[in-house]
This record gives sequence, structure tokens and C-alpha cells, in this order.
Amino acid sequence: MTDLALRVRGIRKAYPKVLAVDGLDLDVRRGEVFGLLGPNGAGKTTTLEMIEGITAPDAGEIQLLGLDWKRHGREIRSRIGVQLQSTSLFNKITPREALDLYGSYYPRRRKAEDLLELVQLTDKADAYHVTLSGGQMQRLALALALVNDPELVFLDEPTTGLDPQARRGLWDVVRQIRDEGRTVILTTHYMDEAEVLCDRLAIMDHGRLLTAGTPLGLIQELSIPSVVELTFDGTAPDPGPFAAQLGLAVAGRGDAWEIPTRDPKALLPRLLEAAETGAVPYKQIHVRRATLEDVFLHLTGRSLRD
Amino acid sequence: MLLLRQFLMECKLYSRDRAAMFWTFAFPMLLLLGLGTIFRSGATPQLTLVVAGVSREAPAGRQLFQALERTPLKLLELDPAAAAARWEKGETAAQLEPAGSGFGLKVNTYLAAQGQMAAQIVQEANLAVQVARDGHQPTWMPVQVESPGHAHSGNYAAFLLPGLLGLNLLSMGLFSVGMVNVSYREKGKFRRLAVTPLPKWIFLLGQVLQRLVVAFLQAALMLLLGYFAFGIRNQGSYLLLAAVMALGSGCFMAMGFALAGFAQTTESYGAISNAFFFPMMFLSGVYFTLDSAPHWMRQAVVLLPLSPYLRVLRGIFNDGAGFAGHGLDLAVVAAWAVACFGVALKRFKWA
Repeated sequence: MTDLALRVRGIRKAYPKVLAVDGLDLDVRRGEVFGLLGPNGAGKTTTLEMIEGITAPDAGEIQLLGLDWKRHGREIRSRIGVQLQSTSLFNKITPREALDLYGSYYPRRRKAEDLLELVQLTDKADAYHVTLSGGQMQRLALALALVNDPELVFLDEPTTGLDPQARRGLWDVVRQIRDEGRTVILTTHYMDEAEVLCDRLAIMDHGRLLTAGTPLGLIQELSIPSVVELTFDGTAPDPGPFAAQLGLAVAGRGDAWEIPTRDPKALLPRLLEAAETGAVPYKQIHVRRATLEDVFLHLTGRSLRD
Repeated sequence: MLLLRQFLMECKLYSRDRAAMFWTFAFPMLLLLGLGTIFRSGATPQLTLVVAGVSREAPAGRQLFQALERTPLKLLELDPAAAAARWEKGETAAQLEPAGSGFGLKVNTYLAAQGQMAAQIVQEANLAVQVARDGHQPTWMPVQVESPGHAHSGNYAAFLLPGLLGLNLLSMGLFSVGMVNVSYREKGKFRRLAVTPLPKWIFLLGQVLQRLVVAFLQAALMLLLGYFAFGIRNQGSYLLLAAVMALGSGCFMAMGFALAGFAQTTESYGAISNAFFFPMMFLSGVYFTLDSAPHWMRQAVVLLPLSPYLRVLRGIFNDGAGFAGHGLDLAVVAAWAVACFGVALKRFKWA
């Protein structure tokens, strides 16, 4: 028995027009929540599809729970749980029926009753699928991914499209899954979610892995751990001339400038002076610690949700 | 066990889909009831002869009238204007009118079958009048006009019913199999199944079995309706009928699976399937016989499987015959079934 839930070495996948995944390595330990981040088109979905056995890689090897897709496909499928980005069910199936039906595909299954309670759908157990809200459908999809009592759970964008309260509710469920000793691999668009939920994460772009580590470790590795934000009334002016004067990179975004810096203590007096002389007429000044969002921006040159 | 579960779930979900229930069961029955009633020609078809501007009082007319009244012809006496109007509308099959010192007949080419029969009977009555004039007393052979078991074209519902049975199988194959599986693929239902250990063939077999049950149930309801509403019944063996139904289900479901392999979305599937569905629906003899259709029209659909299939089906249902004489038709249907199955195996995509 290996202590790795997932071991990926050098997987590649080329589609007629694009090289989707270009030699990717991943290690996920048992019992951790692992996040896979990347902008749209980075190759996250293709990577997940290869790991989940939906698509065959052109090259490379994948081991789940120490097993190989080619020889142990059926066993792997019965020991993993997958929530796809969109889970399509019949319109007129009820959550209880869906859980019973999908449960019947597996040698080992959990009771529909318990799963409904876990994802708080007990009062909707016998309502038709079409009548569920977006959040309820996501929770049902999560319950379906757990129906076989899996050791390894894949969640593809589990909270996309949910309101903040529903997202927090789902985070609690994910933590509970982890506390039951399962390994969780998830993708997300939300940096705060990755920071709060993931024990470790990997950032990929253009089909390659850029970096991997704990959320805090990645932020600390960033050469520029602080960000000063200047907020303007209305649209922010062109930061070009001032950036040249400062000798620092200044990013204009909407009604604010963001100035990444290693030494906010030295930068602040110059910014205050610029405000007093009226050279830069900002309204608010705010210093914050860099976040995963900044790590992401730094590595890919793009914001995650662009 | 898995298969049974999958099959039962398909049945349960199907029964909850009111639209599918309507189009599958109620719609064909309404169609049969409606069209069968509109075009119902009565239990015994009547041959009507329009008699235009001929007086019963004239000596020549009186004898002919007496003779005509002993034939099965229904005489409709009209003045010349009314007769001309009826003729223009195309409702008259045959018309008797004065010509020279005697009488003449006019026959409508569009209603040639009835028209010629009526004309022949008039000619015979006329001969009888002439024979009587020579002092002979002719004897009449009784003529009864009837459609055997109401199974032939005298009763339109009897023609329509097997046509609708075939059309039902076609739409089941193209839409409740082909279209449904394209939408499953498009919506990611197949991907969700692919990450479970359920073998895919069990899923598809469960689906196919459920559709077969629906097809037979639907056919049984149509046969019952045909019997109780129109008094028509299957003239052949029910076993043969069931066998032909199974062959048709196989052929058209395979066609659905094959076409599903050429479409990425339900929209494009709609376009592809309609290219097959509409020519077959209108040009394969579902609603009317193609015997009088233009040559090109018959040629255009000769290679599509529905018209040979309907010939086999009507051969059993209407003529009470077996497969004899339908070897080529069966071969065409079977060839389509095999070809579609092969294409489906090669092209059908799960993702």
C-alpha cells in the first residue's frame, strides 16, 4: 500500500489544434485536500479527465491508490468518487432515487439517508431534480460522488455559481469528507476557497505545472509579499508616469492602483507626499499581505477569473 | 440484476415524462382515430353514379333507369348545372348524361377505380335493356361490393394503422433513442456514467429493452383502438407481426444510434435526423398508397427502409400473408439494420 493517493508522471494530451497537457507530474498524499488551480484553458479539465479515466493520455503514467487504469480500471472506478463540473441527471428523478440508482452500480455503498443528511438535502429527498436550486443540485452532485464510500474524491469547481453562504456550507462538507480520512482533489476559481480549504495546491498554465506547495508557502515564496492599494474616486488615472517616477510596477485595475512591494515602510511616505502635493489624487490607501491571487498574477500574468 | 434495475428505472422515469407519454401513446391513437374517421367510407363502400339531365319519363330513359336500379349503383340525379359543379369539384367518379339520341358516360381519371367500375355496370345495364328489347329476359348475377374483413382500402383506417405502426418505430428509433443519446452525451450524462463501474452496455441495453416494451405496448393499444373504433383486425399471424415489429425496432433503433454518431449537439442531430425522417414519413406510404405517385417519387425513397418495411407489415396485417413475396423487402430492411448497427459501433461516441 502506497502513501500516495495519486501519482502522475509526464502525462501529455494533444488535441488536433492544441497541446492541452504537456508533461505534467503530480503527487497527492493520502488524507489531504489538494487544489489544482489555473486560468481557463490551462488544461485543468483535461488533466482531471485523464486522471478520472474519462480520457486516455497520449503518454505518461497515472496511478490512483497505487493502481493502474489499464489493468485495474474497474477497481479504481469503484474506489473513487467524482463530481463533474456539471452533473446531468434526468429531470424527473428524485435525489433519493438518484443516490439509490448510482449506489447500485457499486459493490460498496452508503445509505441514501446518511448522504442526504450530510449534504442537508433531507427535506428535498423526494422532490424532482428539476425543482432543486443550483446550490441544491451541487450538493446532490457531491452526495453522488460519495455514494460508494470512496477513498479518493474529485471535485471539479464544486462551488462555482453558488452564493457566499452556500459556498461556506459546501466548504464545511469538504472538511468533513477530509476528516473522515478521504483524499480530496479539487479545482476552483476562487483563491479564498483554495487558501481556506487546501492543504496543498498546484498552479498550472498552458498545460504545464508552474508551482506546487502549501498556500502559505507559495505566498511566502513570492518575492513581493505586500501590496499597497490606492483607491480613486471613479476610474483610476494612467499609472505609467508615476510608476516610472517610483521605479516600481504599478498595476491599474478599475478604480484602483496596486503596487506590489517588498518594503511598504519605505514606500508609504512617498505615497503620502504624492497625495499632499496633489500629484496623485487618490482617496484611500491600504496595505495588505499578498494573497494567492497575487501569486497567481505573478506566475501567469493573468487574473484567475479573467 | 443491474440490467433489471436499469430497465425498471428507465420505465419509471419514462412514465413521469408526460410529453413523451403523449407523443408516444396518445398522439398516434388520436391520429388513427381522427384520420380514420374523416376518411371513413362506411362499412360497405358505395358506388355513386351521377345522372345529369336525364328524365325518367323519356321512353329511352325509363328502361335504362329500371335496369340501373337493379344494380348496386347509387343513383344521384342532378340537373346539368349541379352535375357540372360537382364534376368540377372532383367528387364525381362517373356521370351519365344525354349524348346524341342516347346516353354517354364520363369517367374521372382521379377516381378511376370507382369510375370504371361504375361505367362497366352502366354498360352492362344498357346491354340488358337492348337484350330485353329483342324479347329476351336477361338474368342478373348479384354483385356485392365489399372490402374483405374491412382490411383493405375500403376502410382507410385499415390502411393507416400498419402505416402508423411503422412510423411509430421510426420516430422511436430516431428520437427516443438517437436524439436522447445525443442529449445525454451533450449534457455530460455519459461522462457521469463513465466514472462509475457500470458497464456501458448495461446502460444501453436497459434503454433498448425499455423502448422495445414501449413499442409493443404502443402497438397493442393501436390494434385495440383499430378493432373497437373501426372493426379492423390483423389478418395474419400475431407471431409474425411481433417478429416484424422486433425487426423494425432493431432497424430503426440502430439507425438512431448510427445518426447519433454524426452529431455533436441536439440541434445538429435534429437537422440530420429530419433529413431521414421527413422523406420517410411522407414518401414511404404511411398515409397514402404510392401506387399512383409520380415515378420519381417512388424511386426517391425506394432505398430507404420504411417503404419496404410497410409493405411487409401490410402484407401480414392487411393480406394475412406471410413473408412470401416480400423477400426483397425484408432483405432491404435487414441490410439497413446491419449497416446502421455497423456504423453505430464505429461512430457512436460516449464523450
